[in-house]
Amino acid sequence: MVVDELDALRDKYKGCDALAFADLSTKMILVTDSGSNLRREALDALCTEAALLLGVNGEPALADRPSDLASAASPSQLRVFVRAADEPNDVLCCICGPKIDAAAFVADASECLDRISSGD
Amino acid sequence: MNDLNALAEKISALAAQDVVVSADGRAMEIDDSVSPVAAILREVNDTILERTLVFTSNAITVHAIAAGRRLRGILRVTPEADAEIVGQILSREEPEAVQSAHELLESLFGDATGMTVQVLPAEPFGKGGERGISAHGLAELWGVDTTQEPKPPMDQFLGVNAGSFKSLLHVRKGEIMKTSGDFAKLQNIWNTQVQAFREAHSKVAKGEAGAQLICLDSAFDDGTSAAMALYEKDVAIIAYQSDHFGKMQSSWQRIFA
Repeated sequence: MVVDELDALRDKYKGCDALAFADLSTKMILVTDSGSNLRREALDALCTEAALLLGVNGEPALADRPSDLASAASPSQLRVFVRAADEPNDVLCCICGPKIDAAAFVADASECLDRISSGD
Repeated sequence: MNDLNALAEKISALAAQDVVVSADGRAMEIDDSVSPVAAILREVNDTILERTLVFTSNAITVHAIAAGRRLRGILRVTPEADAEIVGQILSREEPEAVQSAHELLESLFGDATGMTVQVLPAEPFGKGGERGISAHGLAELWGVDTTQEPKPPMDQFLGVNAGSFKSLLHVRKGEIMKTSGDFAKLQNIWNTQVQAFREAHSKVAKGEAGAQLICLDSAFDDGTSAAMALYEKDVAIIAYQSDHFGKMQSSWQRIFA
């Protein structure tokens, strides 16, 4: 189940605060991890940010082309957005603390999303 | 020492970076104004509890033992170095040995343009009472200047990560401060995309007026990634190598978080 995949990823990283699986075509969060208590407005904002940073309809946020991986870091938070390899509208939105091992987390988040998206 | 000095020392100790970091090393600030040995002494000066500091550059690794802002000694060097000072406690009573430690570090890291440090639990080294020499004391003995004023945070970030960038455009208060590489494309982004992006992003990331680092993987046609770093009146548009994402995040958090 999707929620089990999200919970497993969150459990693996202490610095991971919330995970949400979203559909960019409708800009809707479909599933969150079971420990997440984000309000609806926060989830909507997270999905809107994912659409902005990853780019929709072939339009990039910055530079030449849309990305499959984007992040926004502030002093208190790292938000990571990952697009599925085979389903461009399937994205994983992640809210992490600032001290997380970003490279390792991104690699695991991508694998997690691809499992969810492919239904494996 | 009077009470105020003692209190100041305690506060300083509590504020110091004494976290044990076991992940990949974090990048140290090394540039024209901070030599590699000065950067090592700064790390020693930031170390209160006994730790193993692992300095790495160009496949050379030095394990050093530090505690109480003092360098106790060099535990080992990889690849192995033919130097008697390795494994010895530093002491002012043995000035030649102290000098040879400086020469060893200079020979290993003197030309380094990038270096990382890991902070690991202490390994057994010497006897408990052998305290080594303070970072300030070594700076004096070695003639190393560690007192340069710290650079502004954005300059620190851009300096530490310069090796990860393919091109850079750094703008402060609308004025170009620094460029590197082929920055024409970045200039075009600055002219045509940045303002609209910042307005759109500020609407969704409400309340985030502080430092921000936006990274977009493989956003350029040649496969390089794009980043925008924001801090106060500074904006940096960056084309960077995608596999340096983790290193950039790590240094960003160290400088701004």
